[in-house]
Amino acid sequence: MAIFFAAYGVSPARAYGAILHGALGNWRGFSETLRRMIPLLLCGVGLTVAFRAQFWNIGADGQLLFGAMAATWVALFSGLQGPLVIPVMFLAGFVAGALWGLIPAVLKVKMGINDVITTLMMNYIAMYVALFLIHGPWKGPSVRGYPLTDIFPPAARIPTIGDTHVHWPTLVLGLVLAIVAYIMLNRTRSGFEIKVVGENPHAARFAGMSELKTVVIAMLISGGLAGLAGVGEVAGVQLRLLDPNQISMGYGYTAIIVAWLARKNPLGVIITAFFFGVLMAGGDVIKVNLGLPFQLINVFNGVIMFFLIGSEIFMRYRIALRRA
Amino acid sequence: MGWESWVISTFARALAYGTPLLLGTLGEIFAERSGVLNLGIEGMMIMGAYSAFVVTYTTGHPWLGILVAAVVGGAFSLIHAFATVTLKANQVVSGLALTMLGLGLSGVLGRSWVGLPLFTTLRNVTVPGLSAIPIIGPGLFTRQNLLVYITMLLVPILWYILFHTRIGITIRAVGEDPAAADSLGVNVDRVRYLCVVVGGVFAGIAGAYLSVAYRPAWTEGMTGGMGWIVIALTIFAFWNPVYGLLGSYLFAALYHLSYRLQTWVSPELLKAMPYVFAIIILIFVSRGTLQKRMGSPAALGVPYTRGEE
Amino acid sequence: MHKRIALVAVLAMVLIGGLVVVATAAEYVPGAPIKAGFIYIGPVGDYGWSHAHDVARQIVENEFPWLSTVYVETVGTGEVVSTVDKLVNDQHCNVIFTTSFDFMDGTVAAAAKYPDVIFAHNSGFKRAPNLATYMADFYQVYYLNGLAAGALTETNKLGYVGAVPIPEVKRHLNAFVIGALEVNPEATVDVRWINEWLNPAAAKEAAEALIADGCDVFAFTEDTPTVVQVAAENGFPSFAHYSPMYKFAPDYVVSGEMVHWDKIYADFLQKIYAGTYTAHNLQNVDYWWLLGQGSVEMAAEPGMAINPVYVDKLKAITIDHPTFGKISVYDLIETRLNQMSDPGITFDPYQGPIYDRKGNLQVAAGAWLSVDSLVSLEWAVKGVVGPWPGEP
Repeated sequence: MAIFFAAYGVSPARAYGAILHGALGNWRGFSETLRRMIPLLLCGVGLTVAFRAQFWNIGADGQLLFGAMAATWVALFSGLQGPLVIPVMFLAGFVAGALWGLIPAVLKVKMGINDVITTLMMNYIAMYVALFLIHGPWKGPSVRGYPLTDIFPPAARIPTIGDTHVHWPTLVLGLVLAIVAYIMLNRTRSGFEIKVVGENPHAARFAGMSELKTVVIAMLISGGLAGLAGVGEVAGVQLRLLDPNQISMGYGYTAIIVAWLARKNPLGVIITAFFFGVLMAGGDVIKVNLGLPFQLINVFNGVIMFFLIGSEIFMRYRIALRRA
Repeated sequence: MGWESWVISTFARALAYGTPLLLGTLGEIFAERSGVLNLGIEGMMIMGAYSAFVVTYTTGHPWLGILVAAVVGGAFSLIHAFATVTLKANQVVSGLALTMLGLGLSGVLGRSWVGLPLFTTLRNVTVPGLSAIPIIGPGLFTRQNLLVYITMLLVPILWYILFHTRIGITIRAVGEDPAAADSLGVNVDRVRYLCVVVGGVFAGIAGAYLSVAYRPAWTEGMTGGMGWIVIALTIFAFWNPVYGLLGSYLFAALYHLSYRLQTWVSPELLKAMPYVFAIIILIFVSRGTLQKRMGSPAALGVPYTRGEE
Repeated sequence: MHKRIALVAVLAMVLIGGLVVVATAAEYVPGAPIKAGFIYIGPVGDYGWSHAHDVARQIVENEFPWLSTVYVETVGTGEVVSTVDKLVNDQHCNVIFTTSFDFMDGTVAAAAKYPDVIFAHNSGFKRAPNLATYMADFYQVYYLNGLAAGALTETNKLGYVGAVPIPEVKRHLNAFVIGALEVNPEATVDVRWINEWLNPAAAKEAAEALIADGCDVFAFTEDTPTVVQVAAENGFPSFAHYSPMYKFAPDYVVSGEMVHWDKIYADFLQKIYAGTYTAHNLQNVDYWWLLGQGSVEMAAEPGMAINPVYVDKLKAITIDHPTFGKISVYDLIETRLNQMSDPGITFDPYQGPIYDRKGNLQVAAGAWLSVDSLVSLEWAVKGVVGPWPGEP
């Protein structure tokens, strides 16, 4: 990685320093880190639940989009006013994302259809639904023909800290739900069932656990949380529905790595989501202040990923050796 | 325009746009048949597209570009193989990281190559004789480049290898039950390495096709998500090269039609059709005994460690 | 008595004025070096929109010794404010250019946040005391392209690959059609939309679909030379878009539209340097620059209005024109070009009477379409065939 930085005439130390300083060193940068962390946190927690049930939810992006669309409907078309709007948006977003995640879950359990493909396909379908809406029935009358909805009315905007993009209610929601998910997985019966179904489906069947019910619950949670992330993005950051790629920004995919890094532990996601928030915010800093090509941050992320993959192996072997 | 023009253009475009999809799918079929899920295809494709363009632009030989792209794709996939087979890391994460790496690297390296026109592209070929057959002739055998036909020919060859040769059986065994294969003396790791690299090579060639034949130029991110469609098509094809051909061409045909039919049907609706179709067909086929025969390799996505089960 | 009051008043004003200067020390002082930040929506390597802005940026940076620039690529719509944060606080920019319609609300927010920094937003319509808008529009050039296209078609079917169906693209498309029909009343223009600005595969398939439908001359709005290449592969002429695409098909590119953002940037920056434009008086500054100001050009290669390969052909085609009588298409193009480039513009493609394809009169005889109407145009002119999202 140092080679790349050096090739552009920037010393690696300076580059790393810029990333860290830019993302953590001042309030402005830190707020950017937090803002990136929010959707990663929500999606990541949801994904840990799904992954525990051995359900490979690659579709967080699509569930996020459905949450965003639901929030948009509430904000612009439901006629709702006042302080109720925001909680209703979150609720609607959760339900929409959960339902979108429900379909692949049922398909897998009832018909054995591979979860990777269904969730992946649903991402694209969600994207086209969103595109259809912003190009057609939901296009705002005030945007002069551009494919956007109108801006959300003030009652539908999630409050942010100062003039940053940190929509703190969603962040708080994410932190709380991470704790809730942890408790659910480790202290409740549903959580227990999810883990057993995931790790040992034979045993689960022996014990009479309903695989369908368990996977469905897991995916409802996973999809719902991604939906919440969508609400946050559209009502906290963008303040309207627009091009799906600008809303989801690949958070759904990055969250897979966030969840994996956290060893499928919802509390761990808080840390890993923060870490990736630093990386993403740092990437912006490099883009602007060091004049490095923005693609470099993808290279950077990729290299870090492999570094982590490699080191994870060593940790695993260490544990195995100790046990032996 | 008469219905002939519809059939002809649909066939022709299906072949043209479907070839990179098919190439990627064929490779991924092999990788997944051996039990390794490779989500890094997009990264390998774009690295292939980049290297093919650079080599072809500087040397003037498109086939050399394709060759280099194949090597680059294979080398890239070696990283994935190392991570997932030797280090036994999580295959999903490794693949995603590879995609990120590939997209970023090609973007960085490709900055100075944007906007350069490529004139030494793969030339189009018309199959003599066959192209005279009414409708099918102009549709399938006129003015496609050689790679399209090579790919078509590869399908029966690969199908045969996978289902009727010893190596094919070995691969499939490794994908279904690596422990059993291991106990019979098969070197599971080596087979998986081979298949992943094959997948990477094909992905590289698919990318090369894009930048050297389909649209001779380099633009950042020019694969435009094709890698993900390939992953879907692999499963859609039930890990069988022949169905892979049908799936790729069908998908490409629908894509083309979404533009031809734009006057009457909403474009978003049409563009979503292939994905909806995929799910519907999967549902349809999964009902009943077909599922058993066409299911995924049982050990797909699970790293194999000897002595651990 | 009066003198003493006057003296106190002057002293007070000086004191207050001094305080004001201190308080707004961040504000730019005319004559000092300028640092300008450019925010792009895409990568500079797209060979289209962002690329053209970047080329312009480099031109003005080389031209003015007092100017230094910095740019940021591929900025998301939700990241405008955070990018401006860095540009203003870390990079100390005094002027910020946001080069996409999508950045509009973000720019407005950023301008409110930094009232001493000068902002200019491209292709938008919201302004503020420190926020100007600017646009170099192509519709006249598309009209000229249309004149040539109408003459060169043999099937009387022209093809257009459109990006996103917004007023900007629609008015360009309509102008193209108006030009084509002026020369060839039998012609139609078939449209296909790809709903994105940059998607080479989509552009290719859309172009192929048009070819399959019988079109033989092509124009487009997309940020790559794909349509040019597809048309050339099939032996059809085309019109380049945005960047010099002549070299992609020297035998088949007739002409095109090229932009010179540097003209606008130079004008704007020089006015800031001279103190004419400040962070307080931009409320009504809106550049709507066309052929006359040199900000756009009919060409596929700078300086080459029409590909020499096609010049003779266009000279040989003569039409009976309602205004000019018997005239070759080549001469017609030149005449119109002059009419529109002259400071006192004597012709506009949108001068009435103009009917949309539903039969409504959109521009009355003898009238011209106002800038406001142009900027919010949604209808399709007579001669357009195909899907037209958002048709009123």
